[in-house]
Amino acid sequence: MEPETPPPGNAEPISEAEALRRLRQSEDQSLQYYGAWWLGRMRSRHPDTVPLLCQALRQRQPRDAGAGVEHNAVARNAARALGKLADQRAIGDLLEALEDEDDGLREAAARALGDLGAELAVLPLCRRLASGPSVAGAPQTNSPKLQEPCEALIEALGDIGVATPAVLAVIEPFLDHDRPLIRSAATRAMLQLSGEPQWGERLVILLSHPQLQVRRAALMDLGAVGWRPALGAITATLAENSLKLIALRGLVEQGQGEPDTEAVLLAMDELL
Amino acid sequence: MTLPPSGMPQPDLSPLVAAVDGAHSAESLVQATRALALALAPPPDGSSALTPEMLTAIRTLVGVMGFNNPGAAVAAVDGLMACGPAAVEPLLEGLDNHNYGARAWAVRALAGIGDGRGLDLLEEALQGDIGPSVRRAAARGLGQLRLGTLEPESRAPVWERCLGALVRGSQDDEWVVRYAVVVGLESLGRSPHGPRPTPATLMACLERLAQAAQEAIPVVRLRAQLALDRLASP
Repeated sequence: MEPETPPPGNAEPISEAEALRRLRQSEDQSLQYYGAWWLGRMRSRHPDTVPLLCQALRQRQPRDAGAGVEHNAVARNAARALGKLADQRAIGDLLEALEDEDDGLREAAARALGDLGAELAVLPLCRRLASGPSVAGAPQTNSPKLQEPCEALIEALGDIGVATPAVLAVIEPFLDHDRPLIRSAATRAMLQLSGEPQWGERLVILLSHPQLQVRRAALMDLGAVGWRPALGAITATLAENSLKLIALRGLVEQGQGEPDTEAVLLAMDELL
Repeated sequence: MTLPPSGMPQPDLSPLVAAVDGAHSAESLVQATRALALALAPPPDGSSALTPEMLTAIRTLVGVMGFNNPGAAVAAVDGLMACGPAAVEPLLEGLDNHNYGARAWAVRALAGIGDGRGLDLLEEALQGDIGPSVRRAAARGLGQLRLGTLEPESRAPVWERCLGALVRGSQDDEWVVRYAVVVGLESLGRSPHGPRPTPATLMACLERLAQAAQEAIPVVRLRAQLALDRLASP
């Protein structure tokens, strides 16, 4: 899961009208970038919001290393915002972005499609992952990135929730990927799709992994699924209370059964 | 918090202080701070009469909070909280307003100790600190000040100040801060030194945070409803 970070600089409060104006103009991309972020963060319901974000998602920019912004920065931020707004009209443009040559944009589009629960995305997501850990999941030359943004693609499949044998068969090989973060994403998706406790127990084991980054990812994954049997293990994890609180919020909002909601809330109180 | 039986001799703190001062790596600082924090206990009679050794030890822990070592800072906060009110003066005196990290840890320690002298800092932190984790700790702390240790005539005004700060904090942009405000309001409402019946301002604030039309985050609403239920049936 991605942490939510505001764009740097530019932190003054603005109005919805101002955010729309910034997104609508196209001379200054950093203003567009902030406008897109703002509209997603504030869950804008203005009728122009989704069409403007879709238009921004179709906008491509050449890589400009000197400018200090990421490749296709506006399009990526528009994809993220569309994921937050949960409007089905965005699905067509997001599916197209999933086929873009920019892997960062594919990653943002996959996460947004997962947020939207877009069943139409299941086939294209599976197609990207079908070559397995040795091709889609192999490192790029001269980069720590993988050939495909596997973590986002797998998490999207779990979030969408279509649990056919074909989908499970695509995810399963990634359970043994070299990188613990990919293993964590695959385990989380298997738990969401199958509901079998063995996958929750595997995530709990990752909560005591020696690397903090892996423990954090497992916390976020357990929270995203809302797997309540992990309550005790989450509170005992060596990580920031802020992250444990986010995970426990997930247990309350996404989870069910035992321990009951009140028990999870009282455990949150202890972490404040 | 468990108090040692009175009359138990204090362990010799000076070698433990020396170990913190002489720590040469991040990990050895964590270990030394833990050892010092564990050895510190509040003065047996609950007074704030500190031996010079204890004062040095407390100041050492306060200093550790400024070293940008989270593991050591957590241990220092635990040690200061275990000392209770005796740690408040050294904490406030040792506060470095320019060291953001140290301030955040001090807010946590003061929130945990619950001493009235921390009120100004907690109020300020909830209203203006840039770190959500600091505002969150301050909100919780404002609900659990130990009003019984204050002069009887200042209990009601301090209670009112805490309520005012929490009601303002209920507008915070971060869900986790609003969640902590709910927890703070509930414990403030349950304080035996607060007014009876619970003032309408407090209940109205919780009711607002329990409603979907006014509060977007489900976990905050659920916690606010739980607080309302528990305040209704003590």
